[in-house]
Amino acid sequence: MTLNLAILFVSAVLVAGVYATMSYGLALIFGVMKVINLSHAGAIMLGAYVAYVLIVGLKMNPFIAAVVVVPPLFFLLGILLERVFVRPVRKAPPIASLLLLFGVWLMMQNIAYIIWTGEVRTITTPYTMMRFNLGAVPINVNRLAVFLVGVFTLLALHQFMTRTYLGKAIRATAQDSAAAKLAGINTDQIDMVAFGLGTALAGMAGALTALIYAFDPNFGGSYMLKSFCIVVLGGVESFLGVALGSLILALAETLSVLWIRAGLQDFVSFVILVLALLVMPGGLPELFQRRFAVRQR
Amino acid sequence: MSREIKYPQSFKPNCPKGGVTKVIQRVRILAGLLTLVMLGSSLGAFAAPPAPKEIVIGAALPLTGTFAREGGYFKDGYEMAVKEVNERGGIFVKEYNKRIPVRLILYDDKSDATTSVSLYEKLVTEDKVHALLGGYSTPLIQAHTVVPEKYKVPYVNGGGASTAIYARGYKWIFGLLASIEKLAITLMNWIASQQDAGKLGKPLRIAIAWENTSHGKDFQKGILDKARASPDRFTIVFDEPFEIGSKDFTPLLQKVKAANADAWLVDARIADAILMQRQLTELGLYFQVISYGPRGTEKAIRDALGPAADYIVSVNWWHRDLPYPQARAFVRKYEETYKKPAEWFPALAYETARVLFRAIEKAGSLDKAKIRDALAKMDMRGSIVVGQRVWFGPNGQIDNDYVIMQNLPGRGPVLVYPKYVALGEAVVPIPKR
Repeated sequence: MTLNLAILFVSAVLVAGVYATMSYGLALIFGVMKVINLSHAGAIMLGAYVAYVLIVGLKMNPFIAAVVVVPPLFFLLGILLERVFVRPVRKAPPIASLLLLFGVWLMMQNIAYIIWTGEVRTITTPYTMMRFNLGAVPINVNRLAVFLVGVFTLLALHQFMTRTYLGKAIRATAQDSAAAKLAGINTDQIDMVAFGLGTALAGMAGALTALIYAFDPNFGGSYMLKSFCIVVLGGVESFLGVALGSLILALAETLSVLWIRAGLQDFVSFVILVLALLVMPGGLPELFQRRFAVRQR
Repeated sequence: MSREIKYPQSFKPNCPKGGVTKVIQRVRILAGLLTLVMLGSSLGAFAAPPAPKEIVIGAALPLTGTFAREGGYFKDGYEMAVKEVNERGGIFVKEYNKRIPVRLILYDDKSDATTSVSLYEKLVTEDKVHALLGGYSTPLIQAHTVVPEKYKVPYVNGGGASTAIYARGYKWIFGLLASIEKLAITLMNWIASQQDAGKLGKPLRIAIAWENTSHGKDFQKGILDKARASPDRFTIVFDEPFEIGSKDFTPLLQKVKAANADAWLVDARIADAILMQRQLTELGLYFQVISYGPRGTEKAIRDALGPAADYIVSVNWWHRDLPYPQARAFVRKYEETYKKPAEWFPALAYETARVLFRAIEKAGSLDKAKIRDALAKMDMRGSIVVGQRVWFGPNGQIDNDYVIMQNLPGRGPVLVYPKYVALGEAVVPIPKR
């Protein structure tokens, strides 16, 4: 039983790494621009295909492709999307950008169908089936690597947001766009950078998850639903919250299987989403703030 | 009323007495008969309309969206069958005593059930098709088959196997895929044959997992029915559904491990089968038999899993290695034309179209009810399907055999069951690595 729990716990932590990597971009764009980026799923899917071309077609090292090559390409794609699709509707009601970005997702899907067809694809690397044992707990090298990249991304984002001028400007714009503008920050440019960065993170997430999962042009859709759940749980403006939200969701899904059928894992996710929205709409940070405020009194 | 006829004088002396009247009567009778014959033939020509320039057949396929890959294969199969029949001048229709070429109208339903229904409505009401070919995937077929049934248009598909399609008492719907229940039963029959050969023990402890869809539920039903019928052979020790597109099967597999099963029988799609088999290998789980239902021997799975795909058994409606000359001819022609491996999708699509053409020919008419009746009575021999025979049960679904394949190291997928098509011996139990 203890071994079983240990295996499930390790599995949940590794899945949390995947979830967190997929959710940072969504949280960043919503935090700064208050835009729900439905094209996030499309960027994850295209990230997987670009990685496929680089790794299978051009024989590039999988992690160099996913971490070094894909993000800059998707940063540029994000800037393009922001300039062409998002900026013209920034002042329109939120439903306009929501629907527009949903349309962009569908366009991305259809482009993928045209280029790569609907065939299920996989990226098989020397690490795909490689594993080692931590005590008696088997750990897949590929999943561990994706988890470590997720942790590294969290640290890098934290450093970027707290130590650099651009990061601070992004945070200032996220907190109060009008005040940031009064302080001399070019918020239009910050929006563009935030969208680019969010898309780069989505592309990287797609490239990394393609090393674990098979994919087709519909890839990303189910991830996005989980990402919404995580962002609501973790709070829309906190990367640490996103990481924590990912861990809670992954643990709940994984451990729930001990008591309920595996077919109800998604049910668990969405019960968490509904409860989070009802009880703590601001996510875990709000909950911590409330606890802190009570203690102060 | 009689009339007196005046004859020339010279004519009279040569005629016998009363002879003139008889001749006139005969002439009158002949003239009357001639008139009747001419009238009859002209009326007949008016009753039979001229033969149509073409026989219009329509289908909506998922050419984009989730099922685009399979839809593309179906398009190939349909077009190949139409091209073949048109090269012979079309389908012979006895009513018109001539061959009439086929025109195929294909629409893209974008893998969407609502769009699919609208397009079949359009094919019937606007394009005025004579008959319909089916789409692909159970959800889409289940949705759009209400249209041919409502408008009474003969419809044949080769892309939907779920019993839900055929359990509604419809009279105009026919299908060339045997049920998923039968797939599961075939798998269990094969396991029983391995038990009889002394390769597997009795009772075999079986763990089953199935995708949470009607496809998965049919699979589960087939396995459970068979297990209940033969408790001396099979014991079900684990039975759970799972969500399509799961990110981690470790929790499920941990439960399976605890169940201490001998055989792992799953109904899964390619992406789920790949992840499940990868994680099963990582966790070091061992089973004497592993099957992912209709999946497991595709190139995509073998490429993704490498040696971890060895010995997986799959059950399918068709395989390119079937040892029938007509199936071999189809494979050769298809692969030469489309430069793609002949999977079951184009094969079943091709045969579906040929079955419809045969029904039209047998009906000898383009009357929809007659074509439907010909389909209901269909008994087509020399087919490329398993068993070489196409016929339909009272529910409109075929009930032919499945084939079982196994990935053998260095050989790829090999046909191992039933015996009359087997090209190799199954390796059971799976050797421990």
